[in-house]
Amino acid sequence: MNYLILLQLLAPEAILTVTALLVLGVGFSAWGSRQVLVLLSLVGCFAAGASLSFLPTANIYMVGGMLAMGPLAAFFKGILIGLAAVTIVFSRTGGVRTHFAEYLSLLLFATVGMTLLISSEELLMIFVALELTSISLYALAAFRKESRASAEAGLKYFLVGGVSAAFLLFGLSLIYGVAGTTSLHALASIPPALAGDPLMLAGIVLTLGGFAFKVAAVPFHLWAPDVYQGAPTSAAAFIASGSKVAGVFILAKMLALGLAATSGVGCMAGWTAWVPLLAIMAAASVLLGNIAALVQSNVARILAYSAIAHGGYMLIGFTSASIPGFTAVLFYVIIYAITTLGAFGIISLVKTRRGSANLRDFDGLAKTSPLVAICLLVFLISLAGIPPFAGFFGKFYLFAEALKGASAGPAPGIFWLVAAAIALNAVSLYYYLIILKHAFVMPAPAETKHSQAPISGDTLLLVIALAAAVLLLGLFPGVLLEPLRAVISNYLTTFL
Amino acid sequence: MSNDYLLLVVFLAIAVVFPLIPLAMAWTWGFLFSPHKPGNDKGAIYECGIESTGAAQIQFQSHYYLYALVFLIFDVETIFLLPFAAAFTTLPLSAFIAILVFLLLLVEGLVWAWAKGILEWK
Repeated sequence: MNYLILLQLLAPEAILTVTALLVLGVGFSAWGSRQVLVLLSLVGCFAAGASLSFLPTANIYMVGGMLAMGPLAAFFKGILIGLAAVTIVFSRTGGVRTHFAEYLSLLLFATVGMTLLISSEELLMIFVALELTSISLYALAAFRKESRASAEAGLKYFLVGGVSAAFLLFGLSLIYGVAGTTSLHALASIPPALAGDPLMLAGIVLTLGGFAFKVAAVPFHLWAPDVYQGAPTSAAAFIASGSKVAGVFILAKMLALGLAATSGVGCMAGWTAWVPLLAIMAAASVLLGNIAALVQSNVARILAYSAIAHGGYMLIGFTSASIPGFTAVLFYVIIYAITTLGAFGIISLVKTRRGSANLRDFDGLAKTSPLVAICLLVFLISLAGIPPFAGFFGKFYLFAEALKGASAGPAPGIFWLVAAAIALNAVSLYYYLIILKHAFVMPAPAETKHSQAPISGDTLLLVIALAAAVLLLGLFPGVLLEPLRAVISNYLTTFL
Repeated sequence: MSNDYLLLVVFLAIAVVFPLIPLAMAWTWGFLFSPHKPGNDKGAIYECGIESTGAAQIQFQSHYYLYALVFLIFDVETIFLLPFAAAFTTLPLSAFIAILVFLLLLVEGLVWAWAKGILEWK
């Protein structure tokens, strides 16, 4: 093994790690002000992003899949680093008062975990990268030590995450026990006699349980509302966007690559083994997320339940068990991450003005800061899936591919799943519009001591940029979709 | 296939019965032959080691925990260093650099903890 090649392929991760350590060091020094630390982290992110373009364009596969680089991985690493950079800017004013250097370095370490996750095609490496991500995020969620809600968020995130990591590890060990390999590529070509082995099926169920935690799908969703509400806003934004992108990507790789050859038994014979399971989780997530969001009074909680529902939509895309379906899911998760990140930016802005992000804190937002209110409108309408915003095209594409998969495969029941998702998506309009009603219709409250606090310019600028991106991607989805399709087909021609 | 699972059932039955037999024998022996003379020592909960005193729910400084954590990191580091040291003469230079990077990362952690004041007893 040549270490120079390894170092070259891992340049983004190495740069991010060095930046994180530098931020820790500078945090002790006299110049370690918040601005300097944020700037340093951003420089690290940009350097890591730039180093992606110097990677070899061929698909490279090292150490039994522990490191699998190529255009597809570079594409998603770039997106994750971008999301991390936006989160870092949000965190400058985002409620973290003490130990700011540690906060930023944890954010960077979580990003390293996610980018490693993107380029791993080996069960052990997937688990290690997943844990690096999760442990950094647990600490981030509990970072506001003075707040009970933050401690509660951290604890719940940690407990559910710990249990699901145990599920995942047990499932992976069963899969390894049956197949005798930890490489996803070797796993893809297991003999047909093992494809429906009961132990294999048990392994798949447990593994999917572990991944469902990352996607916040029912029944591993319980952490989401408390974490979104209690964690520092920028940490919640990163958990909702970056962690979701990485989780969905690795789940897609696991399903499409490693577990594609598995099949169900009995009445499920002829199906790919994980399709029925994902269909049940998707139905439960869409139902629970959309219904439970109706009664929430905190906007972060509404976004959490909406995240559960969106996790369900993505799982529906997976049930198509086809490459176009998986492409649609990956496209959708990118759109979703951009939109959610913007929405959390607005929550952060509202929190600096009003101290909390309950529905009534949004009263009169259109009067006091019209630009923020318009951006909020863009994000929420996009999440609800109304044209011309990106969420509409993403959802349309996702459901169309799921239906195509349903009519082509042996699973006509998926049609009803898609129908239910579309019906429940109509329900979701209610809670998005409630937020907008508070922002646009309700009168502004009397002056409070917070209301004169200056809005941070960089956060506002990024929120506007994200809103513009959501609009542009809705009008010209090809800007993102064509490169995505290109890198995926490039990946497929090399590996499948 | 079904025979394999039958074996599991037999195994389960044996696993239940096996510990019950000595218990039943001891109980029967005691019931038939031993005189009934209860006492404080005899009635005490069986526990190995010294007698427990005081309540279990005491408070102790969370500082111990931080020490233990820092110690643990360097404890685990030894596991990685030992095989490296054992194979040192056959390893190339790049492996030496790799282990140095690993050590530097850990030392940075220690320096951070030191600068943060974790190693000072309060």
